[in-house]
Amino acid sequence: MSRFSKATLAAALAIGLAGGVTGALADGKYSGVGRAATPAEIHAWDIDVRPDFKGLRPGRGSVAQGEEVWEAKCASCHGSFGESNEVHTPLIGGTTKDDIKTGRVASLAKGDAPQRTAIMKVATVSTLFDYINRAMPLTAPKSLSNDEVYGLVAYLLNQAEVVPADFTLSDKNIAEAQARMPNRNGMNTDHGMWPGASAARDGIGNGGKPDVKNTACMSHCKTEVKIASLLPVYAEAAHGNIAEQNRPVGPVRGKDTSGKAAAPAAAAPLSENAAATKLAADNGCMACHGTANKIVGPGYNEVAAKYKGQADAESKLVAKLKAGGQGVWGAIPMPAQTQLKDEDARRLVKWILSGAKAQ
Amino acid sequence: MADPMKIRASAKEGITEVKILMSHEMETGQRKDTAGALIPAHFITEVSAEHNGKQVLAAQFGTAVSKNPYLAFKFKGGAKGDKLAVTWMDNKGDKRTDEVQIA
Repeated sequence: MSRFSKATLAAALAIGLAGGVTGALADGKYSGVGRAATPAEIHAWDIDVRPDFKGLRPGRGSVAQGEEVWEAKCASCHGSFGESNEVHTPLIGGTTKDDIKTGRVASLAKGDAPQRTAIMKVATVSTLFDYINRAMPLTAPKSLSNDEVYGLVAYLLNQAEVVPADFTLSDKNIAEAQARMPNRNGMNTDHGMWPGASAARDGIGNGGKPDVKNTACMSHCKTEVKIASLLPVYAEAAHGNIAEQNRPVGPVRGKDTSGKAAAPAAAAPLSENAAATKLAADNGCMACHGTANKIVGPGYNEVAAKYKGQADAESKLVAKLKAGGQGVWGAIPMPAQTQLKDEDARRLVKWILSGAKAQ
Repeated sequence: MADPMKIRASAKEGITEVKILMSHEMETGQRKDTAGALIPAHFITEVSAEHNGKQVLAAQFGTAVSKNPYLAFKFKGGAKGDKLAVTWMDNKGDKRTDEVQIA
């Protein structure tokens, strides 16, 4: 049974005793819907601790007390010293005495730590307290008492050599611990992820401006992507088949480096008809034109029949393809296919006039 | 002088479980710094643990062991309040011993 549900139970009992008084208070805007939350309910729900320690409940816990709780409830996942990498990334490590002095973890900037630990990144001790209080242990969140959370924070800070082994953390001296946090100066609020006005105007954000400065290309833009270099074939499979190591969903799929997929593509270039069929499918031609039937526009067989025997049919149709048209086959217009390269357009027209065979 | 080790030793039903977190660079001698020069090897070669003066563990470490090594082992015997001393020695002749009481 969590602390929260006990508190709600107590609150529910309190309402029962108070009778209709709380019910009457709930009216206001939404009369007849629900009731106002009781102070006890708000107390149970409002557990957040802010960087300036607003919301922190009084209590105390020593490093030794924290160690006991740690060994019982935390060490199985995080390791005895918060060093374990087995279940989660390490909590402790990577900080030095210099970092505690400067308030900025040097190895974050240098990038020489094999892995970023929680203590390297966290800037406010209130975050540690709030997170443990709110979410830990993973199997029974909110089951720790207030003093136990104080003890655990003290223990973690001791492991990170922020506080001595005989330290007792309380709501009175938590600011001292904050003043020694290794990455206390590492937090930057000058970006759009923070709400409110810019720091210059007493806010904490930058007014919501994104931190990417990409602008759409308006002139002299590149029309196609050119691949400048590729991994040599022998090096592609250095880490096995990349495609198999990625999920089949999401933005990153991974290239098939098994060597099997590349072989047939390289072996035989597509036949002229197959290439044209693919071209027609890729460019969306097949949505409106069937090879042997009318869909929205005329079927390719109809087109071939109409222009059969005309010497200039090819160049005429290439021009029509690229410029679009309306009226020859009905009122529905065909959009201009400006994305087609000249050679592709010619290939398509040749294919249509020759009967639009698949192979 | 190197930083102290973190040692936790707890006795339960005649068996003592020891967990050690050593603080050491453990350079393999194969890495290069940003200027391209080899970083000289610097690693722990020997670790030993003594329970009340009697050796209970002797280990040889090499370059394959990670930075800030973690070592856990159990031995028979040991009671609450007994002394457990852990010593490491590295290839530069540096040495460190830390002692804890078994809890």
